[in-house]
Amino acid sequence: MGDKLIEVKNAVFGYGGRPVVQVEHLELFRGQCLGIFGPNGSGKTTLVRGITGLLSPMAGQVKHELSVSTSDLRIGYLPQHRNLELHWPMTALDAASLAISARRIFGWIGIRSKDVLAMMDRLQISQFANRPFAALSGGQQQRVLLSGALAGDPTVLVLDEPTEGLDVRSTQELLDLLRQFIAEGLATMIISHEADDLVQVSREIAWLHPASDVGQASRVEIVTPQTLGEAILSAARRVV
Amino acid sequence: MKKQPRWIILLTVSIAWLFSCFSLSAAQTTQPSDSVDQSTQEMLKELQSVPQTRSAGNPIVSSAPSTEDALAPQTPAIDWWHLIRYDFPLMLITAAAVGVAGALLGLFVLLRREALVALAIPQVVAIGAALGMRLEWNNKLLPALGVALIALIYFARSKRWNAGNWIVPSFYVAGLCLSFLLIANHGQDVEDLQRMFTGVDVAVDRKTAAIAIPVLLVVGLICALLWRRWLLLAQAPAAAELAGLRPTRWDALFLLLLTIVILLGTNALGVVMVLAMLFLPAATILPWTRRLPAAMLGGVILSLIFLAAGFYLSNTMNWPLSQSIGGAGCGALAISQLAAQFKGD
Repeated sequence: MGDKLIEVKNAVFGYGGRPVVQVEHLELFRGQCLGIFGPNGSGKTTLVRGITGLLSPMAGQVKHELSVSTSDLRIGYLPQHRNLELHWPMTALDAASLAISARRIFGWIGIRSKDVLAMMDRLQISQFANRPFAALSGGQQQRVLLSGALAGDPTVLVLDEPTEGLDVRSTQELLDLLRQFIAEGLATMIISHEADDLVQVSREIAWLHPASDVGQASRVEIVTPQTLGEAILSAARRVV
Repeated sequence: MKKQPRWIILLTVSIAWLFSCFSLSAAQTTQPSDSVDQSTQEMLKELQSVPQTRSAGNPIVSSAPSTEDALAPQTPAIDWWHLIRYDFPLMLITAAAVGVAGALLGLFVLLRREALVALAIPQVVAIGAALGMRLEWNNKLLPALGVALIALIYFARSKRWNAGNWIVPSFYVAGLCLSFLLIANHGQDVEDLQRMFTGVDVAVDRKTAAIAIPVLLVVGLICALLWRRWLLLAQAPAAAELAGLRPTRWDALFLLLLTIVILLGTNALGVVMVLAMLFLPAATILPWTRRLPAAMLGGVILSLIFLAAGFYLSNTMNWPLSQSIGGAGCGALAISQLAAQFKGD
């Protein structure tokens, strides 16, 4: 296992004094893929915001081990391709440059567009660079966005429902790509409600259990992919 | 059916639009002299008997026509150079600055789906202007700016509560009502406010132009240079947040830039011209571009073409300028939208 990047201890995250999710202990290492699984409204996004430092904990602590300042921990983000506003005129290269432009003054990317093109080339989508983004298929769009997120050379990559709306083949291609980058040392956090996808790529999964009472925080349980798979299977058997 | 290249469709659209503009003006200039009625003939005779001064009316001709000229079959030729160089240079340069800034901001207003905000801001600005009139202040710009800023802050906050959808239309109605209630029974003020809304009798003084032109151009430039930022905030606000940006602050900056353009444009040229320049060039160019820089450049060029066409129509047809620009823009927009149905992508 690589260097430890993030450690969360006895933390509670929430908004406006209302706790949403509580974590006993969670760690993220270089080259690790942490799946974040739970039903809608269980606090998956809140948990990621807390882990990445966007949301201060109401209790407990979040430690970014890489350096003293949070900004040194480069966090990349892969948005859901279905959430993008396709009525904006933009090419695939423009869409892929979003992640890099976020870290540049006034958003100017200048010569960094070469990095984006190089990553597009590695992901075998450079032929789409000048095509309108809206004209690409869902799978191609997701690869374009992934190339942009990776071109920013992130320490931790957060993927928000990356396989949502993709067909089986595109899903498999995307997961294969992710496995390659994880093997090269990229730490990833994948938010998903597709247990199958998480089981394929994650070493550990943070499973959010919503509280039975309204106003109480969801509880996070760290499980192995096998445990999650078996739990889902037994739940399915009970339904049948 | 084989797809037509994009430029052929654009060229056809442009020619059709220019042809329609010239046809309209040609129809006006070739009207028979019979249309000059008895009272007009008498008025022209009176005019001939007094020393000539430069006409401030619309249309403006190279010299005052004699009775014989007026009764002759041809309408006197318009001295365009004189009009542009001596009669309306300030107004034209200010309108061009409104066109440049309006086209750039307007593109993002449409893409960010904030057109209703852009429609509401002039009404809010009018409340400030009416307040200035009521209190008999010389400077109407300051109260207008103050009220606009208060409204802007309230609107930005209402977006956080997800109340923007009903706050903005309420601002629109409040502006329409309160501005006129503030100056009710003050005849001249009501007339001034109506003129601000309709944009008829456009005139720009040196002081107004000196403030409006540089500020509008700088605001347009800032908006254009930040195009990747606006794109990022629309597409992936979470990525922006993770990179340490504050999307709400950037949204507030955009609204501030928009307010400045609308405020200065309305103060100088009236609401109609500002809204025409905000919406029409951007809406006309959007179906034809694949990237934002091309859309921005195309919008700016179109806004200047609309200004030229509107100025031409206004002087040849004796139409109000703002509405002529809006009319030219609407014509181009209609043709662009129709032609866009036939282009292949």
